[in-house]
Amino acid sequence: MASSVSEVRMVVDGKRMDGRSPEDLRPVRIEAGILHEADGSAFVEWGGNKILCGVYGPRECIPRFAASPYRALVKCRYMMSPFASLEEHSRSGPSRRSTELSKVIREVFENLVISEKFPNTQIDIYIDVLQADGGTRTASITAAAVALANAGIPMRDMVAAVAVGKADGQLLVDLGKAEDNFGQSDTPVAFSGRDKDILLLQMDGLLTKDELLRAIDMAQAATESIHDLQADALRRFYEQPSQKKFKM
Amino acid sequence: MNNRRIILPGEKIADGKVSAPGAFVQGEATFAAVIGMMDEEGRFIPLERKYRPIVDDTVVGMVTDARHAGYDVELNLPDVGFIPSRDIRLKLELGDFVVCRIREVSEVGQVDLGEVRRLPKGKIIEFPPAKVPRLIGKKMSMITMLKENVGDIIVGNNGYVWISEKADVPLAIKVIKMIDEGAHFPGLTDRVAALFGKERTGE
Repeated sequence: MASSVSEVRMVVDGKRMDGRSPEDLRPVRIEAGILHEADGSAFVEWGGNKILCGVYGPRECIPRFAASPYRALVKCRYMMSPFASLEEHSRSGPSRRSTELSKVIREVFENLVISEKFPNTQIDIYIDVLQADGGTRTASITAAAVALANAGIPMRDMVAAVAVGKADGQLLVDLGKAEDNFGQSDTPVAFSGRDKDILLLQMDGLLTKDELLRAIDMAQAATESIHDLQADALRRFYEQPSQKKFKM
Repeated sequence: MNNRRIILPGEKIADGKVSAPGAFVQGEATFAAVIGMMDEEGRFIPLERKYRPIVDDTVVGMVTDARHAGYDVELNLPDVGFIPSRDIRLKLELGDFVVCRIREVSEVGQVDLGEVRRLPKGKIIEFPPAKVPRLIGKKMSMITMLKENVGDIIVGNNGYVWISEKADVPLAIKVIKMIDEGAHFPGLTDRVAALFGKERTGE
């Protein structure tokens, strides 16, 4: 790896730019069931990321010819707000980036939702990134898992995701925006809760085989604590008397 | 929550193969598919569920389409239910509230309805399907108490609750809301009975 890339020092004395050690996550806060009209919802604040997720369904599949008589279709729409980050995202319509993210997030949940129980229907996952600070896809997956559980859609497992990357020649868990933009690699990984299945693995930039294996181990350790935060959020919601889903 | 633990999707709920609502079997164990909790007897109770139609369920709905062959009924499902007109003598109109029994559910989830009864004027409210067993109560205790105190109420398994125009609608809504909020806390029937007692002495 060329050393010229590391002209910017991002790790000094084992501390990162925001004072974290290489294995530390940014502060994560998860809230379940915050939207009244969606079937299920979640809000995740992850460092500077603010992500809102609403889930609907199973409901009538539109267009009807696309419906499957064998299972419910899982649909996902990831969208970044125009004001989400430093660069303006203009009208926030479909872009190359949002189409890709919608696809990879959809594929995570296609593997988890027990869709055979709901033929000819669709399940919609809407993800809105209100503020972006690096790692929105992992935060989105974390939010969508909570929202699906909140909607009562049957799933085989929960899922949490985190990115491990390389910046300044070191493997770092949960890259911030600067570490992502000026680092050498960004590798988001999603792990299911019980079986520890890898449901998402992408790699931007380069890692050696050895580094990748280490990165996956670090990601798994980090997702454990995110799973706990997801469980906490759902417990908090269901241990109080519920305020939603009573319509007239 | 009275130290009853919340179970997340994917958590193991039993070692053997157990058939329970909101659960699935993988290998030699049973896992929760939806968020739920364990009751005192170690049974899994879903806290959040979509209504899935089962033959012989009683459902409440609204007529949304009238055709020569029959009527479409909105039932809180992805697709409408169907009442074939050859099975019924009664003439229905758009917007009528009906209570029916599910006669058949096809493998793609199409619902055929029978034993149709048109409901008089009233109001339909939406109640979480996961909590319908609490609204009915053990041996119908809760719904019997409701009927005695507020008037005619019909609870559909699909989560639609019909309240008669002649009933005490505000009180009924207050109580149903209370059951919704307290569905997973013990002593619910006593609290509802206490509320009715208070209402009566207040009058």
